[in-house]
Amino acid sequence: MKRVLADVRAFGAQYLRSRIGAFFALVFPIILILLFGAIFSGSGSTTVTIHVQDLDDSAISHQFIDVLRNTTVLNVESIPADSVIGEYIRANSISTALVIPSDFSENITRYRLGDPSARVNVTLFGDPTQSSYGIALAAVGGAATRYSFGIVGAAPVVGMVPETIVSSSLKYIDFFLPGVVGLTILTTPLFGMTSVCAEYRTRKYFKFLATTTLTKGEWLVSKIIFYSLLMLASLALMFVVSIVVWGASVVLTPTAILFIVAGTFEFTSLGMILGLYVKDTETAAAVANAIGFPMMFLAGSFFPLESMPPFLQSVARVLPLTYVNEGLRATMVFGNESTALTYLLITAVAGLAFFLIPARALSWKSK
Amino acid sequence: MLTNSVETESRPRRPARVRGKLHIGGSNSRGRLAETVIEVRGLTKHYPDVKAVDGIDFEVKGGEIFSLLGPNGAGKTTTVEILEGLRDPTSGDARVLGVDVTHGYAKIRERVGVLPQDFQPFDRLRPREAVRYWATLMNRSLSKAEAGSILETVGLTSRADTYAMNLSGGEKRRLGIAMALVGEPDLVFLDEPTTGLDPSARRDLWGLVRELKGKGKTVVLTTHYLDEAEQLADHVAIMNKGKIVVRGAPDNLISRHGGGTTIVLAGAGASGHEALIARGIPAAVDGGNVLVHVATASDVRLMLAKVVAIDVPTTGIYTRRDTLEDVFLRVVGARMAEGELVG
Repeated sequence: MKRVLADVRAFGAQYLRSRIGAFFALVFPIILILLFGAIFSGSGSTTVTIHVQDLDDSAISHQFIDVLRNTTVLNVESIPADSVIGEYIRANSISTALVIPSDFSENITRYRLGDPSARVNVTLFGDPTQSSYGIALAAVGGAATRYSFGIVGAAPVVGMVPETIVSSSLKYIDFFLPGVVGLTILTTPLFGMTSVCAEYRTRKYFKFLATTTLTKGEWLVSKIIFYSLLMLASLALMFVVSIVVWGASVVLTPTAILFIVAGTFEFTSLGMILGLYVKDTETAAAVANAIGFPMMFLAGSFFPLESMPPFLQSVARVLPLTYVNEGLRATMVFGNESTALTYLLITAVAGLAFFLIPARALSWKSK
Repeated sequence: MLTNSVETESRPRRPARVRGKLHIGGSNSRGRLAETVIEVRGLTKHYPDVKAVDGIDFEVKGGEIFSLLGPNGAGKTTTVEILEGLRDPTSGDARVLGVDVTHGYAKIRERVGVLPQDFQPFDRLRPREAVRYWATLMNRSLSKAEAGSILETVGLTSRADTYAMNLSGGEKRRLGIAMALVGEPDLVFLDEPTTGLDPSARRDLWGLVRELKGKGKTVVLTTHYLDEAEQLADHVAIMNKGKIVVRGAPDNLISRHGGGTTIVLAGAGASGHEALIARGIPAAVDGGNVLVHVATASDVRLMLAKVVAIDVPTTGIYTRRDTLEDVFLRVVGARMAEGELVG
């Protein structure tokens, strides 16, 4: 144990003295917290600007525009009626635009006068890759429905009362924090260990260590201990900043701390596996990026899994980070300990499986 | 000319040249060493495309400095890495401190110190931290004062708290030696310890190696510097292409393979060589110089007079005693410069 602790101390001193390592482990997550906190802190008042070209320019079309304004999520701007819509959108870099056709009031009047076949469509232009397009689509659709109900003199039968599924005191940062914690648990040990293994090989540290009584297993364990301590320190910093700056109120549960340790174990071991096969530090960075970045985006760190296409959701289910992210949210946000413990077990077992590979395959001896 | 037969010489023990006090533990703290510290019999290491070590035999006795000499690629490092337990042999026997290197190294790991070839320290550790760290890995507990004492031994006291990445090449190598010695080893392997160092740093390290011998340590030194081996080693083995081509005490090897005096005609070149040959004087060309070997000291004056009388164009004439370089030239058939065979 003395050898392991000595290795933790020596490795830790070198790691923290490298400003890049300390930055990505301790400072970068704080930047993410501040950044995402700033982005989402005012999300309750988010509005989408929609540019409307009213080719009808009648009292009825003005009525419809008022309905759009009353949705509270749409900020309506006008497009001159004599503009060519496609050119205007391009020239003004507009992401969402609505065109009310010139026969809008005529068709509605026909319906009111008894022609049941009378119909009219408004056209919504937008970029489906923008999140604002989805909001505009839903809002315009809702406004059209409400306006139609008004024309036919009917009222909706099915209504909706929104309720939050967790304590009303939770903020967006509370939902986001587990994702950032998961992201940090992924990147710091995975990228770090892949690079460390490559460096130890190219600088012949493995060979030098082999001339001591330190065993390969002790070396691996010392790295897991170091990264666990580092991640716990990083987690503590993230919590403090989230609470002090953004007033976060998520709970740091014992299960969350176990997740930090198990997740670190898992990704440190995965980094060791990658490190087995890379020859130099440049390759190490490329390999770690190739594995880490897709996982970062597919495992629900930033976006809910439900927002992804079904086949990507299936992919996410085999990614180890998914269980860390979902488990942390389950225990920290929803208080769902049974789900959290299940995911914790999956994480620990995967970590053990990953650990056994380098423990057996890593050789300090030359061939 | 390369010879495959191995010549062995008798082993005179040079007196230890101790310079100052070595602060590393006591002399042979684990008691008297076995007479034979390293025993190698028929050792081979074959790769698909090359026989790195091709059936070598040698012994190293306790308390001596043994040097493996040879050009780059001769098999020196492969041989010592097998003896350090870092590489498995293809066949043959190698025993270190009485144990088989393939299976029993864990028993002796603490008794063996190693300075690897191309040693690089941990960049962001200070020498004081590095030796204490390494001591723990060798199952020793070292106080700050003891760490300071070891660093004093290798002349790093003033740099004890400097990040290793800011040390000079010679200082880094000294740190490596300190780390190799921190476990109070009985046997120390120093693999190319002075490669790339300036002459002053080399001589300082030679002093350190002599101090180790003075403390009763057994030192295995691999080098491609023939003068280094001649200065330090009690016994040398010259390797080439995986084989030991000659081994023995440096003085005996020099005596056996010439052991005389060489008259050097600096810059005489091929024309000077031809002029001497034409007059019946055996001579050899070495670069731009012409060499005339004289076997016995009493003939030197006479030969010198003959050579001067020929009036060969030269930038200078001088004599020198034969060295291991001459032995190397005769047994390998080429000179060695910075580890590469020349000529």
